[in-house]
Amino acid sequence: MPDSDPASGAATASALPGRGSPEEAVFIGLGELPSGRYPDRPFMGQLVHAAVAAVRDAGLTVPDIDTILLIPCLHSFADQADLIFSRLVEELGLHGRAKSSFMLHSGGSTSDNTIRSAAGLIASGHARNVLVVQSEKWGSAPVGEMIDMLTANGIPREWEKLSGLTFNAVGALITCRYMAASGSTAADMASVCVALREWSRLNPNAMYRDRTLTVEEILNSKMVTDPLHALECPMLADGAVAFVMTSAGNARRAGRDAWVRIAGSGGCVSHYSIGQEADLAVLGWEKAGVDAYEQAGWGPQEADLAEVYDSYAAVLTSGLEGLGLAPKHEAARMFASGEFSPGGRLPVNTNGGLLSAGHTGVGGGSALLAEGVRQLLGRADPSRQVAGATRAVCGGTGGTYMDSQVLLLEGVAR
Amino acid sequence: MTDTGMETLTEPYYEALKRGELVVQHCKACNRNIMYPRHLCPFCYETDLSWVLSSGRGVLHSYAVQRLGPPSGFEDDLPYAVGVVKLDDGVQLLGRLWPDPDGEWSGYSCDGRVEFHGADAVEIGRRPVPWFRRAG
Repeated sequence: MPDSDPASGAATASALPGRGSPEEAVFIGLGELPSGRYPDRPFMGQLVHAAVAAVRDAGLTVPDIDTILLIPCLHSFADQADLIFSRLVEELGLHGRAKSSFMLHSGGSTSDNTIRSAAGLIASGHARNVLVVQSEKWGSAPVGEMIDMLTANGIPREWEKLSGLTFNAVGALITCRYMAASGSTAADMASVCVALREWSRLNPNAMYRDRTLTVEEILNSKMVTDPLHALECPMLADGAVAFVMTSAGNARRAGRDAWVRIAGSGGCVSHYSIGQEADLAVLGWEKAGVDAYEQAGWGPQEADLAEVYDSYAAVLTSGLEGLGLAPKHEAARMFASGEFSPGGRLPVNTNGGLLSAGHTGVGGGSALLAEGVRQLLGRADPSRQVAGATRAVCGGTGGTYMDSQVLLLEGVAR
Repeated sequence: MTDTGMETLTEPYYEALKRGELVVQHCKACNRNIMYPRHLCPFCYETDLSWVLSSGRGVLHSYAVQRLGPPSGFEDDLPYAVGVVKLDDGVQLLGRLWPDPDGEWSGYSCDGRVEFHGADAVEIGRRPVPWFRRAG
């Protein structure tokens, strides 16, 4: 453990309640709705159903929740405003009881930052039982409007938007650089999507739980933004996820027999505009991983599974490499040889990821994190449950992959 | 097009593009180039900022060719290419890439040399962005 350096301003492991401490924050409940196109599922309806499912899963009742942390939605400013102004508190009948309800936002990495914040509130005694909840209606929204919305947000309007940069082009810039740096072929990149589809077919909540996918189909699909083919671009989906967190002491008192703790976390905001990223094939993963593993006291070789943001294949391969889960430049080829598929050496994105479970906006990262917690609780469907899983590496990234956020999770059985 | 008050930063840059020139911001206090233009120097936080003519030369870090699904207003531009250029001036930026004579971009490659070659005044008046082409 390094000596604490007040000048560095960095949190160190010593600042957190240690493993087994009654104060440390843990996950005790999950709720999730299937992802896909569900025009008859209203936004707020998704939100309350996921929330109540998670609270019941935690063995709590809704009035036990004192703090709600909201994951933002991207499909509608009006629904976003409803979240910000506590509509969910009232919908859940918690008005007059809830201590606080508020939103944090960093795009696709929001769930990582929100979970870290919830953990701090719990460990410091500012919150007792925290509900973290997300709902998105991207799958039912007009695609053209969503393209314009994404182009208008997260891309500097003075310096880059005027070039016609799209989010698919952002993904393509990362993919092109990754392929050049690693020598990965188009077929290698496509194999990442195929592996994710193999996983999503084992996930009843995934958007693509029925349809198979092959490398040939991908390479024969239309070129959208070179080098990305249509079947390598994420499909926008409706979805909802909720988590319940409390302290380990509360979990024990409530008679829970298993929970998931946060062993370590790290992050690096490496840019705002894609044009300013120093290395599009690297991003901020390496720094984020070093800090997280140091805090956890274990390394990537001890991980049982990984759930890392994958709105494009190269985002995932750069993440796996930066987090030490694959040798540099080898991740795509390792996907091609099946190392990250069901039955492979290291299970990766076992829910199918954003690319095959569905891109639920900010919720894509939430769904991956929920899958990590689910696996460590031993409650995934038997066909995709990783036997004996106790350590998961979870990663998220927001905006134009501006930040790389890592949570290292550990399952704890009583 | 831009936020009120942003013209101090955008106008000198856009005006240079209209003249067929690429300029980058320069901090006179710490003698470093800055892109994209900022309200204060992100290295030394001083505000004594100026503009210098860029060499326009650099390497292409990565690029992408948009063929489908453009933002509103870019339908008639398809296909078009964007790229991230690391200028020899020590700064980097995103711009558009000229197609090769065959109308495609297959001659471009990551880490290949590129040079600034501005679009005409009509195009820059419409969209003030830097354009680059392959260089030997």
